[in-house]
Amino acid sequence: MAQSKVALRADAGLQARMLITVFLLGAVYVVLIAALFGAGASGVTILVVAGGLFLFQLFASDKIALASMGVRRVSPQEAPELHAMIERLCVQADLPKPKIGIVNTSMPNAFAMGRSQKSATVVATTGILDLLSPAELEGVMAHELAHVRHRDVMIMTIASFFASIAAMILQFGFFFGGDDDDNPGILPLILVSLAVYVISFFLMQALSRYREFAADRGAAAITGRPSALSSALLKISGTMERLPMNDLRSHAEMNAFYIIPASAKKSLLTIFSTHPPVEQRIAQLSRLEAQLQGAQLQGAR
Amino acid sequence: MGFLDALLGRTKAKPIAAEDRLFAMTTAYVTLETGHNITSRGRAAIVFQPVATADFEGIVSEMEQIVRGTGEETGTQLHVEEDSYGYRWMILEDPDVEDLVVGINAVSDALAVGGYGDRVLAAVFSFKDTRDRSLYLIYNYKRGTWYPFVPAGGEQARDAERELQLKAIIGTELPIEPELERWFPLWGIPI
Repeated sequence: MAQSKVALRADAGLQARMLITVFLLGAVYVVLIAALFGAGASGVTILVVAGGLFLFQLFASDKIALASMGVRRVSPQEAPELHAMIERLCVQADLPKPKIGIVNTSMPNAFAMGRSQKSATVVATTGILDLLSPAELEGVMAHELAHVRHRDVMIMTIASFFASIAAMILQFGFFFGGDDDDNPGILPLILVSLAVYVISFFLMQALSRYREFAADRGAAAITGRPSALSSALLKISGTMERLPMNDLRSHAEMNAFYIIPASAKKSLLTIFSTHPPVEQRIAQLSRLEAQLQGAQLQGAR
Repeated sequence: MGFLDALLGRTKAKPIAAEDRLFAMTTAYVTLETGHNITSRGRAAIVFQPVATADFEGIVSEMEQIVRGTGEETGTQLHVEEDSYGYRWMILEDPDVEDLVVGINAVSDALAVGGYGDRVLAAVFSFKDTRDRSLYLIYNYKRGTWYPFVPAGGEQARDAERELQLKAIIGTELPIEPELERWFPLWGIPI
């Protein structure tokens, strides 16, 4: 049977980097778990409390986040074009139709929420609806649907589970340990937690960037128009740098699922960033376009 | 989609479903006509996203010639429209539903052989009831399933009752999409 032309040659390098990151993250977390059990009863208590928080996060956090962002769900009657566009993309991506929401802000952005494909919500701001042409918007929405399809919210929530435990120990560790000097377990635990927190922070940032690349590839596979997404990214990033930053800080925690992070500070080191630089994403999309156009990129990488 | 695909963020295009699921229409339409007075409008279309490559346009024009060529024997007419979402509709006209199915299959086959099978959105067959209301049966290539679509009077309104009736009528003959949330509407069908 004929192979598809678009984005189906899996990027082996990207996949390898993602696997290594997940593996390292797991290894770091094993160290933390060992330290938790090493700390005895208080360590196990922390694990149980954190487990409860994790379940809460998994089932409720998207609703809280959507409410705090001021997302308004729109019916097909209110936004007929957006609904029809996403319905067609869902057919191409073989996904059930997500809920669709709009945020009333001039900042051009889009994001996806929800732990499963069935409970997903895809959100666009009025800014992005006004800014982009239909084909560009289609690319952005396909990128968000690729996040849904790859279950990125679930994966990043799981990946951040032990990092949040480590953060919790750092914040409250002394309370769990009590202030008597007879408990030797808690100080090493705090040191281990600090190390785990720092290392897992960078690993998660890396994982998040890889998943952005993967979602861009997914978008290209869904629409067959990688360059339309490039064009959208250029437009959005251009606008982002011109807009004032004041009202963006409140949205910082949502950054991981944005199409472009709200704080597009150029000076930020890549390693601190949840999103790859726009230039790198456009470079990947250009390679996909070249692949589509049948050009052979000999020794291009 | 497997666990590893999710973990690694891979989007794989599904292979096009088996042809016989599309060809189920060649018997189903008889049931609609004889048992329920729902008759073909003699029109069907295949909808796909055009790709801006020379290769793709070559395949499409070659395919058009083939369909026109066989159309001289079967009487199938062909014309092409682009809709406001940027999708291309290749519309076939023939009073014989079996010729329509064969023609639609020829088009999707040519796209699949050329490597563009995952660009195909759907195939649409147009029917009417005794009151001349339009009823559509839509074939989702990705899932290999059919579903009914009946636009109601107003803008972007659909007649869910009629659609569920159609499912009951034709469900034993066509592989109907079991998940109702995947009965995606296609507004402004040009056939």
